[in-house]
Amino acid sequence: MVNMLERPPVRAVSETKAVGQRTAARLTLPTLLTLTAIVTIVPFAAMVMVAFAPPSGRTFPDALNPANFTLDNFSRVLSSSDIPRWTVNSLLYSLVSVVCVLLFASMAGYAFAKKKFPGREIMFWAFLATLMVPFQATLIPSYILVSRFDWVDSYWGLIVPTLANSQAVFLMRQFIMQLPDELFEAAEIDGASEWRIFTTIVVPLIRPVLATLGIFVFLWHWNDFLWPLVIGQSGNMQTLTVGLATLQTQAVPINQVMAGATITVVPSLLVFGLLQRYLTDSIAMSGLKA
Amino acid sequence: MPDTGRAGPVSGRRRSIRRPWVGLLFVAPMLVLFLVFRFLPVVGAFLLSLTDYRLSGKWDFIALDNYTRLLSDSVFHQALLVTVTYTVIFVPLTVLLSLGTAVLLHQVVWKRGFFRGVFFLPYVTSIVLAAVIWKWIYDAQDGLLNAVLGLVNIGPIDFLSQSGTVLPSIAVTSAWKGFGYSMLILLAGLQAVPKSYLEAAMIDGAGTWQRFRYVTLPQLRPVLFFVLVIETIGAFQVFDAMYVMTGGGPVRSSYSLVYFLYDSGFKYFDFGYASAIGLVLFLIVLIVSLVQRRLVGRDD
Repeated sequence: MVNMLERPPVRAVSETKAVGQRTAARLTLPTLLTLTAIVTIVPFAAMVMVAFAPPSGRTFPDALNPANFTLDNFSRVLSSSDIPRWTVNSLLYSLVSVVCVLLFASMAGYAFAKKKFPGREIMFWAFLATLMVPFQATLIPSYILVSRFDWVDSYWGLIVPTLANSQAVFLMRQFIMQLPDELFEAAEIDGASEWRIFTTIVVPLIRPVLATLGIFVFLWHWNDFLWPLVIGQSGNMQTLTVGLATLQTQAVPINQVMAGATITVVPSLLVFGLLQRYLTDSIAMSGLKA
Repeated sequence: MPDTGRAGPVSGRRRSIRRPWVGLLFVAPMLVLFLVFRFLPVVGAFLLSLTDYRLSGKWDFIALDNYTRLLSDSVFHQALLVTVTYTVIFVPLTVLLSLGTAVLLHQVVWKRGFFRGVFFLPYVTSIVLAAVIWKWIYDAQDGLLNAVLGLVNIGPIDFLSQSGTVLPSIAVTSAWKGFGYSMLILLAGLQAVPKSYLEAAMIDGAGTWQRFRYVTLPQLRPVLFFVLVIETIGAFQVFDAMYVMTGGGPVRSSYSLVYFLYDSGFKYFDFGYASAIGLVLFLIVLIVSLVQRRLVGRDD
């Protein structure tokens, strides 16, 4: 009781103090947050402004004046470089990979999760073990292998080796394992073929994982640099990332480089704008890394 | 085919035991890809590193010569030093940046989705794009940073042409590009800290900093370790940003291990030697992961 009587004044003091602190915090933290966000955005904003700035003269302060905005840099970089061809290469590299990885990884994930076959455990652990080996460590043997197939400077060499995606198989297996066995057993009793069970029961059930994984595989390939750099040796086989890197080592004016950069970032931004929630939620849940 | 239709319902699990080829067929496409393009290169890297494999395809077995050559190669020492220095700068920078933004996002409810999106935006772009933009930002004549510094009468500083500033400059670029990923992981970790713990600490009179230091941070430990390891492994593989921004310069002050591997392989066509560098990289990554396992134990 004594405690109860003593408490109110103490609480009142700490409460007014807390209210004061809270209003201060209410202003400080959002301000800090906004400033950090602005600093994060500035490089993108600068890229776009320089891309639209007049080719002659200094980038500053000319780039800041909207009256000077021009599309010259875009038309020049499009006509002087191979950006359309690089875009086609990047799209092929990314989209073909997405389709193949999703198909093969979901098939393998289904087998690892729901089928019994000799060597299953060993195979699965071998898949997992290679995740430990950085891609760069096997760059040379991969290149020699591709050159033995005579695939250097071809779409085959660019795409096929990157389809062996252990992470995708692992993710698929984890997800399919959670699906109840009864779903498949009922269909088997009804006499459905294995392929039919896969396409009509498994695939619809794993649609959310397919969507998430699809986004990641797209970004992995769209942003990939080292493998396309090594494999796409002629100008015709370069992807946008490799093309952009070569563009800025040549004597191309900075405005045009930035125009090219702006073009390469559009698909990533589209994916991001449409699927941001999917992307951020799945990283928080599974730790997927693009 | 082994399945000679016996009458009556058979459970799927038993059926698949009697028909092992079904599972094998489903694994087959990925298994072939995996064996040829993942497993074979891992074995190949090890074997190649014991040879002097040349562009012509001719080779001799030279045992550990490539490795002894690495030990006395000053370029290798330089590449190792650059990579370690870069890692030491990059990892704290990116972890602090992602932890800071995660804590801010966790504290401020206002427009959380929007800000989370902004911080995550650089992550969906390529490191090449980041490098191209930041190379211009750092430019001594025309760059944004020097334009800003010029307003307060500093500079111009040629960030990418001085051995003292080149690695921090590249680390900032990579951190800007990548912190959104670790931020999301840490934000999820922060949101998983039980509210009751924080309330209990508050009742005991713990201030904001004390609650963060003694309640949140210990709870966040496994997540923080995960982020630390992912970022350290990533830092050891740095290449793209250096290739685009500096070409390894000035005078190899930004010449990383992977850059050395790339040059050995595709500039000097010294495939055996390059494979040995790859294995050293693998060993480093392996040690980092094992140390992490030791430190975090079963939390993983």
